[in-house]
Amino acid sequence: MLGVSMMKKINVMFVVAVFLLIPVELLFAAVGCDLNDPDRDVARLFPGSTGYKTNYVAIDQRGGPSLLEQIEDRLGDKFKGLFETIDVPYTLYEVFKGKDKIGYIHGVNEKGQYGGIQVFVVLDLEGVIKSFYFQKLTSRYGKQLRDPKFGEQFVGLSLKDFYNYDVQSGKTSGPSAVEKIKNPVPEAEPDFRAALRGTKKNLILVDEFILGNKYLQYHQSGGEQNK
Amino acid sequence: MIKILNVAYKNLLRKKTRSGLTIIGIALAAWVLVSLLGFNKGYESSLNRDIDNLGFQMIVTAKGCPYEAATLMLKGGTGLRYMPQNITEQIAREPEVEAVTSMLMQAVFDPNKGESGGYSAYLGVDPATFPQMKSFLEFKQGKWFTDPDALEAVLGYEAAELEQREVGDPLLIIEKNVEVKVVGILKRTGTQDDGTIFLPLNSVQKIFGVKDELTGVGIKVKKEADMVQFEEKMYKLPDVQVVSLSQVKQTIMTLVSTAKVMVFSIALIAILISVVGVINTILMSVMERLQEIGILKSMGATAWDIFKLIWLETLILCISGGMIGAALAMATAKLTEVLIRQLLPYAPSGGLVQINLSLIILTFGVVILIGLLSGVYPSWKAGRVRPLEAIRSQVE
Repeated sequence: MLGVSMMKKINVMFVVAVFLLIPVELLFAAVGCDLNDPDRDVARLFPGSTGYKTNYVAIDQRGGPSLLEQIEDRLGDKFKGLFETIDVPYTLYEVFKGKDKIGYIHGVNEKGQYGGIQVFVVLDLEGVIKSFYFQKLTSRYGKQLRDPKFGEQFVGLSLKDFYNYDVQSGKTSGPSAVEKIKNPVPEAEPDFRAALRGTKKNLILVDEFILGNKYLQYHQSGGEQNK
Repeated sequence: MIKILNVAYKNLLRKKTRSGLTIIGIALAAWVLVSLLGFNKGYESSLNRDIDNLGFQMIVTAKGCPYEAATLMLKGGTGLRYMPQNITEQIAREPEVEAVTSMLMQAVFDPNKGESGGYSAYLGVDPATFPQMKSFLEFKQGKWFTDPDALEAVLGYEAAELEQREVGDPLLIIEKNVEVKVVGILKRTGTQDDGTIFLPLNSVQKIFGVKDELTGVGIKVKKEADMVQFEEKMYKLPDVQVVSLSQVKQTIMTLVSTAKVMVFSIALIAILISVVGVINTILMSVMERLQEIGILKSMGATAWDIFKLIWLETLILCISGGMIGAALAMATAKLTEVLIRQLLPYAPSGGLVQINLSLIILTFGVVILIGLLSGVYPSWKAGRVRPLEAIRSQVE
C-alpha cells in the first residue's frame, strides 16, 4: 500500500501531466513543416541514403517582399490567411549517399477542408518528383487520399508540368501532365486542390531555394505548352 | 590614488598573457554565475506566470489511477475517469471559493492524421465561467462561443496554425464525424492554451456521450482563504483528488532542483578555481618583483602602500573578468536557455534566463569580494617584505 503522502505526490504528478504536459505533447506538435522523424523518414524515402542536411529558409530572410511577389506570381495565387506568411520557416532536407547528394525532401502546410494538410514531395537532383505523400491530413476522405495509388500519380512530374495548372480555378490551360492526376473522391475536391497547390508551392520553393531557379524559364515562357 | 592605480595597471601589462589568462578564468566564473542566477530568477518567474495563466489555483479531478495521463495519450478518452457535474455546485458553495469552472477533456484518434495516426484533444469549457476566469486571453480573430450548446470551437494560436483554421472554417472531430465551426482564434499566450481546442462543455458532453460528467474543476480561491485548510476540505469530497497549483509548482521545482544543484556545484568549482588562479597570479607577480618592492620600501613606501598596490592589481583583474563575464552571459543568454531546455524535464514557456541590472550588480559584488579576499594574502606578503633582504636576495 502506498502512503498518503506518496499518493498525494503521485496525484500532483498526474495533474502536472494532464494540465501542463499532455496538452503540450498532444497539441504542440511542430507547426512548421518538418518531417516527424527525420532519421526514420529520410531512410524510408531514400533507401540506401547515409545522411541528410537540414536547411531552414524563410522568404523574408531570403529576399523579402519582392521574392514573395515573385513566388506568388509563379504560384498563380497570393499567400493568404493568418498562417501563410512571409516569415514561415521552410525546412529543406538535402539527402546524401556517402559524399554524394542524391535528392531533396520538402514539405508545406496547406489549408484543407477540415484541418491542416502537410504535403511532402521527395525530389531527385533535377527537381523531379520521386514520391508524394501527406504527412498530416484531417479529412473525411483521408483513407482514399492516403492511398499509395493517389500519390503515384505525381511521380515523374516536375515544376515544368505544374505551370499550366491554375491553383485558384483548379484547371489547366492546355495539355498538362497535371490533368492526369485524378481526384479519388469528388467530395474531397478542396483537399485534392490543396494537395495540388501544396505540390506546386513545394516545387517552386525548392527551385528558388536550391535549384537556382532552373524552372523559371518555363514559367516565363508560359509553362509546358510553350516550351 | 590615481598614481597607484596607474602603477598597478602598468604592472599587470608587464605580463600580458598571465594577466589575460587570469581575467579569462574570472570571466568564465562570472559568466557561469550570472547565467545561473539569471536562470534561477527566470525559471521561477516563468513558472509562476504559467501557473497564474491557468486562471485558477486549484484543480479537482476524479480519483483514479495516476497513470490515466498515459492512458489519455495512448487510448484517447477511453480510459478517463469522470466526476459528476453537480460537484461544481457543491464546490462553489464553499465560502473560500471565488469562482469555479467545469472542464471536460476528451481525445480522439485519427488514423489518417499522421503517418501512424495521431490524437486530437478537445477541452470542453463552461462559456459562462471559463472566459471570466481566463480574462487575460485575447482574440486574434473572432470571439467566444455564441451559445452554450453550439457546435463551435475556439482555437489556441498554435492549434489554429497546425490545423490552418480561421474564423468561419469547419473543424472535423473525425472519430465522431462531427463538424464544428471555428468562431475564435486566440492570440499567443506562451502557455498550454496556445495548443488547445476549446469547445462548449455541453457540446463536448453531447458529442462524446458523457452527459453530466467532468474530468476537472478549476477553482479560484479567495485571496484571504487558507489554502491548506481549503485543500483538506476538498479532500473530504467523495472520489476526487485535489491538487493546488502551489503543489504543482513545488513538484516542478523539485524536478529541476537536481539540475540546479549540479549547475550550482559547477559554478562553485569555477569560482574556487578562479580564486586560486588569482592568488597564484598575484603571488607569482609579488615573488618576481621582490627587489622592486624592496627598493620602493627603501625609498619610503610603507607596508600599507605596497599592500594597496598589490590589492589594486587583484581588483583590476577581478573587475575586468567580471565585466567580460557579465557581457558574455548577456550575449549568450538565448543559447543558455536553449541548452537548459534540452536538460530539464519540464520547462515553462517564456524567458528561462532573465538577466537584469540588479543581477549584474550582485555578480559584480561577488566578483569584487572574491578579488578583495584573494588579494589579501599576496598583498600582505608583499607588504611584509624587508627592503634590504629583498634587494640582496635578487642580487644573489
